[in-house]
Amino acid sequence: MAATTESVKADAAEAPLLNRRNIVLGMLLYFVFYSWVRWYEGVYGWSAGLDSFAPEFETYWMNFLYIELVLEVIVASALWGYIWKTRDRKVMSITPREELRRHFTHWTWLVMYGWAIYWGASYFTEQDGTWHQTIIRDTDFTPSHVIEFYLSYPIYIITGVSAFLYAKTRLPTYQEGLHLQYMVAVIGPFMILPNVGLNEWGHTFWFMEELFVAPLHYGFVFFGWAALGAMGVMNTEVMAIGKLIKKDLV
Amino acid sequence: MSASQSAVRSRAEAVAVSRTFDWMILFVLFTAVLGGYHIHFMLTGGDWDFWSDWKDRRLWVTVVPIVAITFPAAVQACLWWRYRLPIGATLCVLALLLGEWINRYMNFWGWTYFPINICFPSQLIPGAIILDVVLMLSGSMTLTAVAGGLGWGLIFYPSNWPVIAPLHQPVEYNGMMFTLADLSGYHYVRTGTPEYIRMVEKGTLRTFGKDVAPVSAFFSGFVSVIIYFLWHFFGKWFAGTGFIADDAS
Repeated sequence: MAATTESVKADAAEAPLLNRRNIVLGMLLYFVFYSWVRWYEGVYGWSAGLDSFAPEFETYWMNFLYIELVLEVIVASALWGYIWKTRDRKVMSITPREELRRHFTHWTWLVMYGWAIYWGASYFTEQDGTWHQTIIRDTDFTPSHVIEFYLSYPIYIITGVSAFLYAKTRLPTYQEGLHLQYMVAVIGPFMILPNVGLNEWGHTFWFMEELFVAPLHYGFVFFGWAALGAMGVMNTEVMAIGKLIKKDLV
Repeated sequence: MSASQSAVRSRAEAVAVSRTFDWMILFVLFTAVLGGYHIHFMLTGGDWDFWSDWKDRRLWVTVVPIVAITFPAAVQACLWWRYRLPIGATLCVLALLLGEWINRYMNFWGWTYFPINICFPSQLIPGAIILDVVLMLSGSMTLTAVAGGLGWGLIFYPSNWPVIAPLHQPVEYNGMMFTLADLSGYHYVRTGTPEYIRMVEKGTLRTFGKDVAPVSAFFSGFVSVIIYFLWHFFGKWFAGTGFIADDAS
């Protein structure tokens, strides 16, 4: 009886398998932040973002760019450094329950990655299309690019690499080597950012923003396909979780 | 292994864990597909999909189904062959359309002030249902590619008729005759407005007069069959679970 009571107490004190608060807060964080960004675009895109030679462009857009780049480097270094520094050096000897809990945390990271991918690859990328259909560019750092290329893409890169690092440092499933499709799903979308180099270089020759389907943009398309690597991650996770939740139950 | 080392402590908890993962997996798959499919689609067929004065009887009908069948084929390859879920194509198209509609309202209209009836997205749901139903009923990739892919291409224009037909009505304006879609395009000048940029109704297919759209749809369906095959195999590769050597370990 005493042992049972202790066991119940231990269960009550144990951390939940899934911390739902983290998911809700994480998604709200991105949503609120990007809503503010969208408001900023609406106000300062038209009032200060049309002429890159104007002093107000420097104030409202170039300073935005400088600040976000510095913050992104700091956040990426701190987050990736923390995940690596606190890695589990005995990852193969954790209990199944702890492993399941870590899978849930891993999926919290993946949910955030999917959410960040949506904002970067869908919302702000197509938004860039309508901005370039409306405003003739005179700089690489147009208001839509300051947000799309240099804010929303780094955010999904930081989130995706964090998810990958978490899996690699804390889950036995990923100790077999490097999961090919996981790397595709993280590195492919990451490569969209370096591909901006090709894009901007091409746009110094041609005013091709009139045509969103111009071949100059096909690098983005190729690396966008890599998001399908999420299917490989999903399949691996389904197999791993299936094994875990069937233990001692059949 | 003792009972206390089990990952779950009861069958009920196992079921709850499984359902929770289902929702998380669905969300991640939906948003990842949305992002990848949207960036692919907007940069390969986007201009025809953005503007009603690009939605012509020839190139819109030809290009959009061909570039849009890619992700549905790939996701079907994973969801059907691994989980027997006949929803791959519909999931892709719903994700794409959600991303597009949010964008057209929030940004095309909300930021750059284009009216929605010049920048609404193309309708792809009927074709996706055809692909999923053919795969579910036949269980055959080959039949889905041939019958489903052809159906995907052929159904595109009719499924967009209700919304595009009013904009294809002829109008006379300053002695010129063109469509209502063209007229609204001229009033909302974009960097894609010049006729050397806008790819509509070009070439001698106009020789066929009223038959332009059916010929284009049939050609589109034919190419969609080929693209389906190709992307089905891409999908199987992307769904792989293999590891490569980790030098660090």
